[in-house]
Amino acid sequence: MSRARDERRTQHKRYKEDVEERGKAFYPYVMFHDTVMSLVVVSVIVGLAAIWYFTADEGSEPLGPSGSGWLGVLYEGKADPGTTSFIPRPDWYFYFLFYLLRIFKWPDTVVLGTVGVPTIALMLLLALPFIDTRRERRLFRRPVALVAAILTIVSMGVLTYKGATAEEGTGATGDVARWTQENNLPAGEAQEGAQLFAESGCTNCHTYLGSGVANLGAPELSSIGQSIDKARAKAYVANPRAFGNNVMPVYGETLTDQQLDQIAAFLEASKGGG
Amino acid sequence: MAVVPPPSRRRKRRMDKVLEIVNIPLDWLEERSGLVGGVKYFLFRKVPSDMNWWHTLGSATLTAFLVQAGTGVILAMYYHPHPDTAYESIRHVTHDVTLGWLVRGMHRWGASVFIILLFLHMGRVFLFGAYKYPRELNWIVGVLILPLAMLEGFTGYLLPWDQTAYWATVVGINLNGTGPFVGPLLAQFLRGGDEIGAETLTRFYAMHMLLLPGAIAGLIGLHLYLVVRLGVSSPPWSPEAAGRDREEPEPSGSTGLVRPGPRGGRPRGE
Repeated sequence: MSRARDERRTQHKRYKEDVEERGKAFYPYVMFHDTVMSLVVVSVIVGLAAIWYFTADEGSEPLGPSGSGWLGVLYEGKADPGTTSFIPRPDWYFYFLFYLLRIFKWPDTVVLGTVGVPTIALMLLLALPFIDTRRERRLFRRPVALVAAILTIVSMGVLTYKGATAEEGTGATGDVARWTQENNLPAGEAQEGAQLFAESGCTNCHTYLGSGVANLGAPELSSIGQSIDKARAKAYVANPRAFGNNVMPVYGETLTDQQLDQIAAFLEASKGGG
Repeated sequence: MAVVPPPSRRRKRRMDKVLEIVNIPLDWLEERSGLVGGVKYFLFRKVPSDMNWWHTLGSATLTAFLVQAGTGVILAMYYHPHPDTAYESIRHVTHDVTLGWLVRGMHRWGASVFIILLFLHMGRVFLFGAYKYPRELNWIVGVLILPLAMLEGFTGYLLPWDQTAYWATVVGINLNGTGPFVGPLLAQFLRGGDEIGAETLTRFYAMHMLLLPGAIAGLIGLHLYLVVRLGVSSPPWSPEAAGRDREEPEPSGSTGLVRPGPRGGRPRGE
């Protein structure tokens, strides 16, 4: 152990001597390259901003979304806590996390996706210099590091790509008739609830008889009526926090009492395909 | 006036006088702070002769951060952190303010460029094995900047107060709530209440423009201090690599891109 330490120290001392003897001055040689690179960076940023702005068309509504150009809109419509059907999208560097949450399901393993994997990744990064203490720096003589780097890049790339192209669960309203038939939903409150369920963006996270996409670990609801009754369903949708669910939005503030009754009736009637 | 110095001598003497005048404030500053010597040390310190374009990724990341800081200050002059006016102030900056679209666009896209450069810089350091002794601490400091930069992205995402901003933040905060023990408390703190509203916006604004950039700037300062103190590492494959074992034979191959060979140097091992 102490021999390895002595070797490292000797090597660094030799490095300092070599740099002093054969090195070049930071200014102007390296500074020149840094300046060129910095100008490239600033140009790219200005270029992106210009493409973003000039390819966007003016939106028609006064407070609506503006300009869908090559690089997306300048902004969406003003935030409205009352809408329940807007599909949230994080910025691209959170796509990997966004997609991880499709892999881990609520409620048992979702914590692995939100906290577990990112924490472990960060811990590994921080611990890297203490895991890999060899002096060797040439990449092809560090096979473990090389394989780890490739695996990390590939998995982050795949997760980001999957997150970017993940399908969205809009437009379930066309499926209401099929749900009614397959789950024998009684006319009245339950069918109105089905319509509301399809319109309110529930299918952005929940799946129901093959409609919608599973996001953020939200459960499949086709047969939820087998395990909960109307009163519990209503209380849950109105305030998921009371049931220890911190992910689902609180619908008690955006839906009326009557609407909550309809949704709850629909969920209670959902016994799972006949 | 018998002896008139030749013109070249006269020019030199005038030059000396100018230098003397320029040096008065510099000497004053140096005597009281030592800063001039520090800057001189920073600029004229020796670095390995085989540094190449890969080594510019760090300063490129710094440039992206400075762009964010500069455009951020300008945006803060026009931004109103309140749910009733935030969206309108962003529209105002984008459409009415002179070059406002450019400043906002640069901030919007500079964030992505900053994150990309952080990853590239980290990848370069990893592939060069530059995190090894004695630069372990500098690696840790750099790694800490990464989640802070992503938190900058998360907090900044809400500020335009449009639909994407609002609903992505709803989901983001709720995800924080799934954490064990501190999760619900953290979600409650970020929200500043039970639902996202005015309190959330001011909280995110304060974190986005005070807490996080301050922390990142401090870590960058420490990062640079350690770079200067420990020195920049040579590319591992370089035949000119500083600190290479003395008894090793000279490998063949191309030298660094910056300069073809050692400066006035002699071949190694002779």
